[in-house]
Amino acid sequence: MSELTEMRQRIIELGTSETERKKAEEALRESERRYRLLAENVTDVITSVDMNLRPTYMSPSITRLLGYSVEEAMTRTLEASLTPASVEAAAQAFAAETALEHEVHDKQKDRFRRRVRELEFYRKDGSTVWAEVMVSFLRNSEGQPVEIVSVLRDITKRKQVEEELKKTLTELERSNKELEQFAYVASHDLQEPLRMVASYVQLLARRYEGKLDADADDFIAYAVGGASRMQKMINDLLTYSQVGTRGKPFQPTDCQAVLDQVLANLKVAIEESSAVITHDPLPMVIADESQMAQLFQNLIDNAIKFHDEASPRVHISAKQKEKDWVFSVRDNGIGIDPQYYQRIFMLFQSLHNREEYPGTGMGLAICKRIVERHGGRIWVKSELGKGSTFYFTIPKRGGEKHEY
Amino acid sequence: MNIEEMGKPIEILLVEDNPGDVRLTQEVFKESKIRNRLHVVKDGVEAMAFLRRQGKGTDGVRPDLILLDLNLPKKDGREVLAEIKADDDLKRIPVVVLTISKAEEDILRSYNLHANCYLNKPIEFEQFIKLVKYIEEFWLTIVKLPPR
Repeated sequence: MSELTEMRQRIIELGTSETERKKAEEALRESERRYRLLAENVTDVITSVDMNLRPTYMSPSITRLLGYSVEEAMTRTLEASLTPASVEAAAQAFAAETALEHEVHDKQKDRFRRRVRELEFYRKDGSTVWAEVMVSFLRNSEGQPVEIVSVLRDITKRKQVEEELKKTLTELERSNKELEQFAYVASHDLQEPLRMVASYVQLLARRYEGKLDADADDFIAYAVGGASRMQKMINDLLTYSQVGTRGKPFQPTDCQAVLDQVLANLKVAIEESSAVITHDPLPMVIADESQMAQLFQNLIDNAIKFHDEASPRVHISAKQKEKDWVFSVRDNGIGIDPQYYQRIFMLFQSLHNREEYPGTGMGLAICKRIVERHGGRIWVKSELGKGSTFYFTIPKRGGEKHEY
Repeated sequence: MNIEEMGKPIEILLVEDNPGDVRLTQEVFKESKIRNRLHVVKDGVEAMAFLRRQGKGTDGVRPDLILLDLNLPKKDGREVLAEIKADDDLKRIPVVVLTISKAEEDILRSYNLHANCYLNKPIEFEQFIKLVKYIEEFWLTIVKLPPR
């Protein structure tokens, strides 16, 4: 009797577990269907390979990506599918990832970590296609990787754009260098014949002024003026072209010392204009010292030069920001109309009559090049009649990486 | 007592290939208060021939001072300088390097070859006149030159 009850009980239990098993199977099938539906209908390609890199699954979108049918693609080896460079990249990635696999302890947590690689595949028609490959490891209940599941996304367009961008950039760098070289050679080699012109018109003036007639004196004077102005321009152009080609390596530079030197250089100009120059404490920066001096000198020289009746007051300061130092040179001069904020930094651009404010219009262009060589920016804020403040940044470049 | 007081003009050898520069230097020396004779040669080979008193036009003159450009055809100024300073007979003659080059390399090399001084040709004419006057004042007046 008790045996019978027991039997019955077992049958019921069996029945229940049978039902549950069926239920579980059904759920599994449904889940499988759901994932298959997803896998087979996304535009990205989903593939899985076993730990020997033999394909175990490929979604139909592989045909769109590579031109091969699923069956064809399944028989192709990874080596045959990838360009030689990508075979190497994939091998390296596989080695690195499997090595990493052994180091990862919390495998569950690591399960969905995305590892992205860019690989170039051969298409059936012989052309190639770039795909971004996102890889995850499929694990058994012990957490051991059994399959590698990859999602492939076509990035050929992006790659093409990147490639074109890279080409353009290289081309731009090359033409920029060539232009620099051209400016250097031109300005350097023009100096010599120009020296002859300038010297001989000056010799003419020296020997014959007042001995010919008034017209001759005028003509000679214009020739002398023009030649001497051209010499200044060519000299500035030479300086400008040398910012990139003849720059010195960046070193820790004490801006305070640089400024002292610059103020000594400008002693005559400062005294003649009764300028008052003040400054806050200035920092150490990583820079080309002689270019920093040139930068300060041009800015302070301008600040002194462009003034009205009031004698110039110039203040130099520096503020520390997260990534860089922001320097400023503030004056009480004639100011700049906002419409000229960009133009003043261009080559040979003067806003003023040369008799009023002499200069070649190169000073700020040289400043801009120096600041840009240091990875900084330069700009101005000003109001007509109320003075200007020139700002420029010098990146701090993570001081600890540099030797002090 | 310096050479000029002895009544003979000072003999200067200018080694310069650019006719414009030659004439310019001549013109400035013409304005000089010191009696001088400026001899001109246009390349390094001519310069050595002049100094060793070979060939035409040397008149057996031994210069009291040499103004030497560095970039010259045939034999360049650096070679000329090396030869002069290696020659027991010529090495006492002061050599003033007068060149457009501001290259550190040229400056060092010239002094290593025992140039007596190195001067940059100024771009400005007024500065050039000043420079020539300085040369006159220092090398031809203040400096005690070796006896001929």
